[in-house]
Amino acid sequence: MSAPDNNLRDLYELYALGLLEEPEKSQIEAELQAASPEARKRMREALENNAILMANVPLVEPPSTLRNRVLAVTGVEKKNRAWMAVFATAFAGLAAAFFIYSDARSKGVEIENARALLQQMQVESAKTNSELARARHVLSFLNAAETKVVTFGPKDPKPPRGRVLLHPDRGVLLIASNLPPAPSGKIYEMWIIRKNAAGAMEKPVPAGLFQTDNAGNGIHLQEGAVPLNAIIAVTLEPESGSSEPTTTPLFAAGA
Amino acid sequence: MNFLLSFLFAAFDSRNDASLIDKLKRRDPQGMSELYDRYGKLVFSVILRVVKDSSLAEDLAQETFLRIWNRAQFIDQEKGSLGPWILAVARNRAIDYLRSVDGRMAQKSTEFDPAVEQPSSFINLERDVINSDRARVLREAFTKLNPNQRIVIEMAYYEGLSQTEMAERMKQPLGTVKTWVRTALRILRNELEEVVSV
Repeated sequence: MSAPDNNLRDLYELYALGLLEEPEKSQIEAELQAASPEARKRMREALENNAILMANVPLVEPPSTLRNRVLAVTGVEKKNRAWMAVFATAFAGLAAAFFIYSDARSKGVEIENARALLQQMQVESAKTNSELARARHVLSFLNAAETKVVTFGPKDPKPPRGRVLLHPDRGVLLIASNLPPAPSGKIYEMWIIRKNAAGAMEKPVPAGLFQTDNAGNGIHLQEGAVPLNAIIAVTLEPESGSSEPTTTPLFAAGA
Repeated sequence: MNFLLSFLFAAFDSRNDASLIDKLKRRDPQGMSELYDRYGKLVFSVILRVVKDSSLAEDLAQETFLRIWNRAQFIDQEKGSLGPWILAVARNRAIDYLRSVDGRMAQKSTEFDPAVEQPSSFINLERDVINSDRARVLREAFTKLNPNQRIVIEMAYYEGLSQTEMAERMKQPLGTVKTWVRTALRILRNELEEVVSV
């Protein structure tokens, strides 16, 4: 086993950043593949030094929405809510049972109310579980190797901004930010615009309605096969939706 | 300043990494919450330093945590180091974004080797890798760099430019830029190593 080249000693940090070019890149890779303890030590130190250097930035408080976004997309918040719903349902059930046991004969009407409450909680629980399933679906979509990501709006002076993720079999996932909630009576509608063999755009096909939250964030998933070269557009439409766009697209993204 | 030092110290205190990694590997929701509380501010700050847009930084920070969540099962619970890994992922997301916007990715001038952010690379790093002494020394060492050395270091870490791209940007010979980069990294490393050896 040959000793690592001292001339490469100063370049491990660049290699660890993914910035080193040939021929030095291959030379360092060869040193690492040779399993030289010195080369591995250099790599560890480079990763440590890079972490220290990257952390040497002015600290800025992130927007308060980021925490919720992180937890929501990973499904954590949904999962917590699902558990809360389960506990709430169980609690409501126990409360109803206790209520029935203690005063069943004289309070028949209230028993009915308790049952209604229990049913309502069960509906909420089912709804939350549905949201959890959707979050998991989104997660698997994001994770798929075939998923293609297109960014829109980065150079626009005004929002909206975001990403469109296309999967040939699973469909389209739109993640938008800075998109104000649609005004009363209106809703956002997504469109898939396919291209024919000659590359010309075909008629837009409706791909679902969605709304954004007060912070302007929206996630919309349209399942089904979609070509990776399709254009994805969003327009503002009447809240019942439209069969074809009636307004100018707010943005369009695609290859 | 003291706040920064204490934050860095806390952020990279990896004594609790093993327990946090365990939660992430089990996909325990509390683990993701703790991960964000521990690294959210730093991740956002690093990304913001690169993309210089708060809204974009928020999007990319979200992607960073998603990636960590999805790949946590590959990190070594006993030997893995979360701080350096999550910082590398955050920086790479931000640099990837810059490249996609200015077309560098399409030109294939330099592409990230996925190996450089594999969790398996981040093992056996020094526990508590960024302690207050090293962070302080780093800032002092930065002042010892001349302006060109500082510029190339910032171009590498916060713009993701290769040495060839730096040379083009600065309209300088490639050899000159390579010398600046090597010298700057050597100065910084020597200063840090002095701390370790004391």
